[in-house]
Amino acid sequence: MKSLMLKMFLVMVFSNVVLLAEESITVKGSDTMVILAQRWAERYMAAHKDVVVSVTGGGSGTGISALINGTTDICNSSRPMKPSERDKLKQRFGTRGIEIKCAQDGLSLYVNESNPIQELSIQQIKSIYTGKISNWKDVGGPDARIIMYSRENNSGTYVYFKDNVLEGDDFAPTAQNMPGTAAVVNAVARDKWGIGYGGAAYGKGIRELKVKADADSPAYPPIEENIRSGKYPISRFLFMYVKNKPTGAMKEYIDWILGDDGQKVVNDVGYFPIR
Amino acid sequence: MIRWFTVALVTFTMQTRGLAQTDSSIAISVEDVKTEVDGMNESLTEVRNVVDALRKIKVSGYIQAQYRYTDLINQPFPLGNFSGGQFPGNTKNLFQIRRGRLKVNYDNVLTQFVLQFDVIPTGLSLKDAYVSITEPWTQSFGLQMGVFNRPFGYEIVYSSSSRESPERSRLFQTLFPGERELGAEIFYAPQLGKLNFLRVDLGVFNGSGPNANEFDNFKDIIGHVAVQLPLGEESPVALDLGVSGYFGKVRSNTNDVYSNGEPAAGVKGFVQATDTANVGKGITRKYLGGDVQLYYDVPSIGGLILRSEYIAGTQPGTNATTISPSAQPTTALYKRKFSGWYVNLVQNIGNREQVVLKYDVYDPNTNVKASNFMTTSKLTVADIKYSTFGLGFIHHWDDNVKFVFYYEIIKNEILDKGTSPASLSAYTEDVRDNVFTFRVQVKF
Repeated sequence: MKSLMLKMFLVMVFSNVVLLAEESITVKGSDTMVILAQRWAERYMAAHKDVVVSVTGGGSGTGISALINGTTDICNSSRPMKPSERDKLKQRFGTRGIEIKCAQDGLSLYVNESNPIQELSIQQIKSIYTGKISNWKDVGGPDARIIMYSRENNSGTYVYFKDNVLEGDDFAPTAQNMPGTAAVVNAVARDKWGIGYGGAAYGKGIRELKVKADADSPAYPPIEENIRSGKYPISRFLFMYVKNKPTGAMKEYIDWILGDDGQKVVNDVGYFPIR
Repeated sequence: MIRWFTVALVTFTMQTRGLAQTDSSIAISVEDVKTEVDGMNESLTEVRNVVDALRKIKVSGYIQAQYRYTDLINQPFPLGNFSGGQFPGNTKNLFQIRRGRLKVNYDNVLTQFVLQFDVIPTGLSLKDAYVSITEPWTQSFGLQMGVFNRPFGYEIVYSSSSRESPERSRLFQTLFPGERELGAEIFYAPQLGKLNFLRVDLGVFNGSGPNANEFDNFKDIIGHVAVQLPLGEESPVALDLGVSGYFGKVRSNTNDVYSNGEPAAGVKGFVQATDTANVGKGITRKYLGGDVQLYYDVPSIGGLILRSEYIAGTQPGTNATTISPSAQPTTALYKRKFSGWYVNLVQNIGNREQVVLKYDVYDPNTNVKASNFMTTSKLTVADIKYSTFGLGFIHHWDDNVKFVFYYEIIKNEILDKGTSPASLSAYTEDVRDNVFTFRVQVKF
């Protein structure tokens, strides 16, 4: 019995040591960041043949769950971790997680190119997405029904938009939930009276609205200058989370992302570097 | 030449006609496809609505199958009772299903509905059944009502599926058997903003445990304030602190009530007070506690967790037990000053292994010591102090399965052979009641 237990113990420890020795890095999380993360991985692997970086999306909530469950090394998130999520990480791994700001993003409001609307205030956007305004004529446009496109609730973009634009209010039930920001963009591009929201990186092919903080403020487009200065009112950081202080291959990868090469990729993809 | 011109004209005419027909066909086809796509979009929207509704329902659960071994057959009560349940007669090892939980959670962000059952070979019991509503304006305040964990301390609300030791400390198993309680609480738990490090729970409960066995008109108040000290994002250390209070009463059903005192000159024990007014009287049940959790990311090894709690107060029990009553005690109530604490250290080694050390102490009657146990003192088995040292190793096979190896060394207070009553002779030495547990847990 004792011998059997000892063998089981050794097998468990040995299997762990073998896994720790592999130089593979798993990245999971935000759909907003998935293209950025893929570009990072591609460029890094091209220069570091001994490291394999696997990137998948699924949403910020999914990535954070994966970090808590131990099934990803790095979690990409377009929103900060909640205290309740930190608690789960502490309970399982004894760490509160390490937050790494890796890019900055302006949350864009998309409309179809043929839509004459040029700008909206935060209050108007909130009224549209909570269902209080349902016709474009109520925000200075033509008499046409507004078709809302949103994200699924495991998305960090969804959570950020709900918390910061809707101020916690519920989305109108007529808002159609799309599986990714690219899907939102495609839907708005097809739908003449559609409106959607998402990261700046996905903004090609449709028109991004100028946004003003309130009715009396000037409207600003989501460009780097306005996002960095805080003039554009819906901007946010994009995060990476890891359980423990990074070491070895993971530290080198994260250092590279935060360095000149990694931050150049941020610019290339359409987001804004953190420095 | 004319012939060629005629052929060309006929061909052109035919082609033009063909093109016109094709244009017409295409126009019809596009219209058909558009109708089809619109129909599919409508269907897709309906399906999405159904999927969105279903996504709010989360089903989870876990099973804990285990093997336990203790040192001695037919141990005297209550030994071994706090390490996964008392061993049946004539055995010192057994397989059992410790917990078989099935939880259904309807999560509509600001409204939650939770039902949890425990299904084990000996029967089915309700563990959680509550609704939780958070106000929509600040999303910080909420109301919870039903059967749920008492908001006291840390270990009581720490899920059995996550806990590293197979069971809670003896202290908690005694004061809060079943962990849950019927009642209502308000909570303040901001997820955003500058106060998101704070959580406050304050509730009113029956005071008779999770079953609907309320036996008196007294309602108990339980509260907990917890803070996560904001040590900064770069800090490898996290420190959480909490304080708790329990203020309640247990109804006396007899003329007699026993309190700590001197039943005879120089003898510490219980003093009997007999009064017909004691029937229906509320005997104080009052606890104050503090809890601390320290987390440190040990470089190259993994997270270290150090948890500790201390509770002291007054506990009404009977002559046989200090376990909080879940039904009206039919014998006299005994008021005891008690204290208890535990220290629990967990070291993560990489992502899969954990080493666990735990030491807990429960002194049900802080007014007496081992030499006070004698016939005239009226002290019983319920007044014996215990300490438990646990040593464990956990392997997480994957994110669903874990194996737990845990050994508990249980020490009882050693009573004086010369003066202690014959009924307590088993406790004049450390009873052989150490327990080894091997547990497999599957969680989904």
